[in-house]
Amino acid sequence: MVAGMNAGLPKPSQVVSLQDIPGLRGMIVEADGAVRIAAMTVHAAVAAESRLAGGLAVVREAALQIAHPAIRNMGTLGGSLADADPNADYPCALLAAGADIELAGPRGRRICPVDAFFLGRFTTALAAGEIIVGVKLPPPALEETSTYLKFSRVDGDYATVSVAVRVGWRDGACTAIRIALGSCGGTPIRVPSAERALVGTKLDVAALRIAAGAYVAACDPPSDFRGTADYRRMIIPGLLERAVRNALNADRGIRS
Amino acid sequence: MSTDRTTLSFHVNGDPQAVAIPIHRTLLEVLRDELALTGAKKGCNTGTCGACNVLVDDVMIRSCLRLAVSVAECKVTTVEGLARNGMASAVQQAFLDAGAIQCGFCMTGMIVSASALLAQNPAPTRDEIRIAISGNLCRCSGYVKVVDAIELAASRFRQGNAAEAAAMEIRI
Repeated sequence: MVAGMNAGLPKPSQVVSLQDIPGLRGMIVEADGAVRIAAMTVHAAVAAESRLAGGLAVVREAALQIAHPAIRNMGTLGGSLADADPNADYPCALLAAGADIELAGPRGRRICPVDAFFLGRFTTALAAGEIIVGVKLPPPALEETSTYLKFSRVDGDYATVSVAVRVGWRDGACTAIRIALGSCGGTPIRVPSAERALVGTKLDVAALRIAAGAYVAACDPPSDFRGTADYRRMIIPGLLERAVRNALNADRGIRS
Repeated sequence: MSTDRTTLSFHVNGDPQAVAIPIHRTLLEVLRDELALTGAKKGCNTGTCGACNVLVDDVMIRSCLRLAVSVAECKVTTVEGLARNGMASAVQQAFLDAGAIQCGFCMTGMIVSASALLAQNPAPTRDEIRIAISGNLCRCSGYVKVVDAIELAASRFRQGNAAEAAAMEIRI
């Protein structure tokens, strides 16, 4: 926001800081394994959270790839979500993780599923007077892994294309999968029908190619200085396959 | 933009300060324009270039992106605060000795990044050094000697002989 003010874009008459509200910082793991991250938790703190593993590693990996060290010491989870920049890392990662966004306002608290939170470029389901107080990540299942794959021109830039994956795997087959694609439209996108078609498969190259085709068809990437729309569509299939493979090979070595 | 003013009390390089400022001033503007600490530079003013890096309560941040009112009662350290008794810090001396300075504009931000890195990790690899300065743009593209300088500072820091130890103390 201050960057925008410096550039003369928003000219707020009032700014309310949330930085001294202690309840808006930190992360807790609940009894069932669900994780709550408060809205004012900075990216550096999330990036250092070893408890974000398995099916939730995607959130830690995204935090670690946001911009640069000084920015990660300043930027917050809630700030990134409220900004809803279509090229940002957290929105894509949280969509794959299946997060619930916890909101509070004059009429009380409510939960907004991440699938319904991002409405368009820089536009969210936040109502006037509401703030984000945190996110809740569904408990990771035993045989789940996840990853965030960011393809960018240089380290620290916004993604040209990013892919976030949360996948369940048992007895040699996929039991559940969420795939989110970033920087390819006004919001990060999922294609639930393509995800459903992957359940029960071995996530082999042929199955992933079909899924990637559905994502290419569903997305609406921009043409800008990071790449043309055609270029982005061209690299999506390779990145999607790589992201799923990375997720399956992550820390627990589910699949060789 | 509001014309309201407030008095900001905080510590800068160990000294208590109280300055009357318009409430929308950034920390960078207060440091440069009110306190004449011009080590932190106004490069991009949008958080991209890293030339304005300072430490707030020992955490490195972009001073152009912090409203000054948000550092009330905090401890701010600028590049000027790294030297002591007229003696350059280990990192500053290593930048001089390694010839890591071209036009100099990015250098103070680089030194703050390097100091923050070495305070946490006194034996960084070259890759870790590159990551630490990844948010510092050098338009002379003089990155190799900057990495050399930080390696030199780290090696002196680890050797820690008495004469150098004083200069090497990383004060954050």
